[in-house]
Amino acid sequence: MKTAPPIAPIRVMLVDDHASRAQLVEENLKAAGFEVLSVISSAAGLLYQIEQHRPDVVLIDLQSPDRDVLESLAIVNRHSPTAMVMFAQEDDPDYIRQAVASGVSTYLMEGINPDKVKPVIDVAMAQFKTFQGLREELNSARTQLEDRTVIEKAKGLLMLQKRISENEAHQMLTKLAMNNNQRLRDVAQTVIATLSSFEIRK
Amino acid sequence: MSDPARLPPAEITQLSLGYMRLTDSAPLILAKEEGLFERYGLDVTLHREVSWANMRDKLVVGDLDAAQLLAPLPMTTTFGAGGMRGNLITGLSLGLNGNAITLSNSLWDSLDLHYPGRLPDALQVVRTLGRSLKEKGANPLTFATVHAFSMHTFLLRLWLEAGGIDPDADVRVIVLPPEQMCDSLARGIIDGFCVGEPWSTVAVEQGIGTVAASGFQVWNNAPEKVLAVTEHWHDNYPATHLRLRLAAMAACKLLTQPEQRIRIAKIMSQRHYLDLPEKILLPSLTGDYRFSKNDDPVRVPEFHVFWKYQAGFPWRSHAQWIVQQTSSLLGKAISEDDTRALVQQSYRTGLYREAARCLGEVSPSHDYKEENRHGSPWEFESGITLGADVMIGNPQYSGRG
Repeated sequence: MKTAPPIAPIRVMLVDDHASRAQLVEENLKAAGFEVLSVISSAAGLLYQIEQHRPDVVLIDLQSPDRDVLESLAIVNRHSPTAMVMFAQEDDPDYIRQAVASGVSTYLMEGINPDKVKPVIDVAMAQFKTFQGLREELNSARTQLEDRTVIEKAKGLLMLQKRISENEAHQMLTKLAMNNNQRLRDVAQTVIATLSSFEIRK
Repeated sequence: MSDPARLPPAEITQLSLGYMRLTDSAPLILAKEEGLFERYGLDVTLHREVSWANMRDKLVVGDLDAAQLLAPLPMTTTFGAGGMRGNLITGLSLGLNGNAITLSNSLWDSLDLHYPGRLPDALQVVRTLGRSLKEKGANPLTFATVHAFSMHTFLLRLWLEAGGIDPDADVRVIVLPPEQMCDSLARGIIDGFCVGEPWSTVAVEQGIGTVAASGFQVWNNAPEKVLAVTEHWHDNYPATHLRLRLAAMAACKLLTQPEQRIRIAKIMSQRHYLDLPEKILLPSLTGDYRFSKNDDPVRVPEFHVFWKYQAGFPWRSHAQWIVQQTSSLLGKAISEDDTRALVQQSYRTGLYREAARCLGEVSPSHDYKEENRHGSPWEFESGITLGADVMIGNPQYSGRG
């Protein structure tokens, strides 16, 4: 996956306790046009480094205990959001699928492979921007929860009134949403409004 | 003890369970060493994880079947408040309390407070700290916890607020891995931390910190860790999940015996478990706890509560408080309805009751209890005694669901 070359170089920080690998990755990143701000081996000083350099991306090994530190920056320190790319020891497609589905710029692959680093960062950056956008628009997590509550309620009403299974109710909602080109939540709300008024009239 | 042969057969028997390098991993490690998992027909492999983020992600994607998790994580992961999203549930709390707030020696000395041979007055300490921050207006202090959404963070905030210190404005609160706490404290990068044992004891033994409050003193019998699985996993393997909870509960009950606590300290000190000296693990487990290197140990019998006071019950009043704290930490409103939905989704009281029935044990008939109301053990209902539940500084919270 290729994106257009960035106007300003993307600024990367690398956290890797594997010195020779870190060096390879750093060289590769530089060759690919990234600016490597710093390479550190552990979170001792990580917070300070992040606050000083404000990197666009932090590359970190999945097995690093410093992940909680990085995550807290993304969650709580709203002033320094940082895209994170993480690397696992083993290449597990399910893991990657889930990570992507979770909407966080999390990527996992076999070690930090110098050749694969650039495309991964490109994708992570794009994904991070989307995620940030979502967050700014509305707290996406909260919306998800509200959506689920509304959808569950609509399903419950459908099951009750049409005497169908939860699966069938879900399928019915999905089909309605597709046919009307609407979001599942919007359809669910219409269903609730319709069925609830039906109940009152009855 | 119920007869495992009469339980519904396990859907799967080979399980991977995650734990962290913390003293309150004791129930899971004891269940393994004592053959309790085996007794319930389970072949469990324990995996030591390096970060909560890693543990949570592995659980969500199915690399782990179950995990010892921070009490807030089922809700915050279901909510999607950080990192990977996924519906996590718990039917068993793995213990109450277990944390401590530790200050650097220089900060402690500046307060000029002395509690030789007795418990420090946690409220007096933080009020003195609050006054000194206002008078001196020095560089803001930095405190560390181990995860944004942890009881450590919430207890630290509770304690600071009790001293009139605004945790968002007056101090900095950062996250550090537990292993780095002591080093950062010694080097003056942080001024204090709130962590689970044994990390405060490590600081005391190294002579670099003084414990200002045990977790118990901040909120008597606060929730701490839970045994978490994904909702999907539970739906697929309900009988395996039941057996897993029964084995863990049996271990928690064993840990009411003082000799078992001494034994588990020895077991956990081994290289493939916590890899820490036994004498570092013993203080919080035995309750002979040292607050500073030069003082004698003080009795803190409820430093870890694994079984007593219905410790295993996943109270929804605990979960509700946690969601409210998360909301205030994120600066995002979470409506009452959303909170209730999230709490009911994540803390499965029915699963606890199911397991308790199998063991012939009583369990609470209500999901919520009053919090911050009782200064000593009290009778919740006939045959059920709960521990004290007071919060430091008596903040406005009653836990009524």
